[in-house]
Amino acid sequence: MTINLLTNLSFYIPEMIAIVTMCSLLFMETAYANNERRRTFVYVTGFIGMLLCLFSLYKNLGIDSQGIFANAVVIDSFSTMMKMTMVIGTLGTFYISHKSIDIYDELKSEYLIMAVGVLVGGMLLASSNNMLTLYLGVETLSILSYVMTSLKRRDHLSSEAGIKYALYGGVTAGIMLFGMSHLYGLFGSIQFPDIIAGIKALEGFNIAVILSLLMFFVGIGYKIACFPFHMWSPDVYQGSPVPVTAFFSIVPKIAGIAVVARVTYSFFGTENMTTQVWNSMIAVIAALTMTVGNLSALNQKSVKRMLAFSSIGHVGLILIGVLTFGGKGMSSILFYTLIYTFMTLVAFFVTTMIVNRTGSDDAIYFRGLAKTHPILGVSMLIALFSLAGLPPFGGFIAKFNIISSAVGQGLYTLSVIAAINSVISLVYYLKLARTMVFDDADGEAKIESYSLASRVYVIGMVIPIIFLGLFWNNIYHLYSSAKIYLN
Amino acid sequence: MISLKAYLFVSMILMVTGLVVMISRKNIVAILLGIELILNSAALNFVAYSKYAANNLDGHIFSLFIIVIAAAEAAVGLAIVIRFFQVKETIHIDEASELREELTR
Repeated sequence: MTINLLTNLSFYIPEMIAIVTMCSLLFMETAYANNERRRTFVYVTGFIGMLLCLFSLYKNLGIDSQGIFANAVVIDSFSTMMKMTMVIGTLGTFYISHKSIDIYDELKSEYLIMAVGVLVGGMLLASSNNMLTLYLGVETLSILSYVMTSLKRRDHLSSEAGIKYALYGGVTAGIMLFGMSHLYGLFGSIQFPDIIAGIKALEGFNIAVILSLLMFFVGIGYKIACFPFHMWSPDVYQGSPVPVTAFFSIVPKIAGIAVVARVTYSFFGTENMTTQVWNSMIAVIAALTMTVGNLSALNQKSVKRMLAFSSIGHVGLILIGVLTFGGKGMSSILFYTLIYTFMTLVAFFVTTMIVNRTGSDDAIYFRGLAKTHPILGVSMLIALFSLAGLPPFGGFIAKFNIISSAVGQGLYTLSVIAAINSVISLVYYLKLARTMVFDDADGEAKIESYSLASRVYVIGMVIPIIFLGLFWNNIYHLYSSAKIYLN
Repeated sequence: MISLKAYLFVSMILMVTGLVVMISRKNIVAILLGIELILNSAALNFVAYSKYAANNLDGHIFSLFIIVIAAAEAAVGLAIVIRFFQVKETIHIDEASELREELTR
């Protein structure tokens, strides 16, 4: 048994690399935190660690799906691909944190430590196969996120956002645990395979099971910020430093979506009453999440808040993919999250630059950006068009795949709602685009921190958006071959 | 012998008390206490079910993890409360109202 667990470690190399990176960053932070020049070394270490992690995840793609550590954690290509997207997102936010003045210089290495920590939690969450690993993943993700939110000391908004996040997060985690405890009592095990077998054997409308499952959903739904549990998200996004906001809209969300997809697909494979209740709940939540997110984004002054609501809208779309997971849903979720990561990184990098110059993320400070800083402005335009789902860019392909998978499964109402929501989202994205292109800039305000490396970064992030919009077949085929492990 | 129902009843009361504390108290530290009550109700449930419903130790292990994580969460929560107190000089939840929607026009 012990030998068996040790051999399992060889499938767990990516997570171990991430953990080792986090620990070494922690040691380096104590040594170099006050030394301006040596801090670059901390960044290089984090960068190399994440690249190694990405590489070993890539190596893991070839492994057959299996459960490791006494079936507590699963290694399958679906979770590995989700983890790769998460690592790319973390790497992207590293550079944003390096550039941002929102994160004080002496705290930059702490940002790296906590970002990698959240990534470890997200990886655990994406491949969890029992309720204990799921809970541990959620809490690793959450506890570090609370600290990241209030990273900007001496700032009213940041500490207030931290309080709100911690209180909401604590109570939803508690409700999720309460639901889990009743599921344990009802099915006699915390392992997903046993619960799946239990749900399969159910007949008729079992109110206890359904109530426990609803409570269970509260915790995950909170992490992905879907409709009834989304109200923390705009406040926390607005209060946090910009790199943290970028990080929150990528890593915890993708991890949460991975776990919602796994639970929905594996728990509810058979046609019975419980499955119908769960699926219709997800469908209603998807429709409401999209609509509420996009409608609330319409007149926001703060760009961070607007992006928060727009990411709520995107989660609603991805939930449609969760519903159609058995069909084309899996590949469309994977594709959507990848594109979404790049678009979000570009949008938040530009916002960081604006915040660096003006100290505020108000939409009026984006005036004339395309004229004063052409590369930055055009990149932001491409990111906005792609987020809105306009044709030549990756966002269009992503949305198209989700909607076509919904049509393929006969979810016509949801596809119509998704299409209407794309139109609504166009309004606020294009409004910001108009401000950037047609309005005049106030004076010759140059962005001090906008260096050559920044140009390279932003162009490097825009290329995948365009490239994946034109030549999406190869990566889509790779994603179509993803497998999910059951039992 | 105490029945399973008694345990479930106590944990239900703990859960509801926690939620009521969350909603009604204005002191942030008291709200954190409410969260602890909710977590403990879940831990009690796990132990009770482990003894009566499922014949395995999963529930015991789970409740140990809950205790550890609740401690970590309380530590981080209190640290954030201290930060909040330093900038605002109060721990009244109604003071946490600076983040709000501002609409154009």
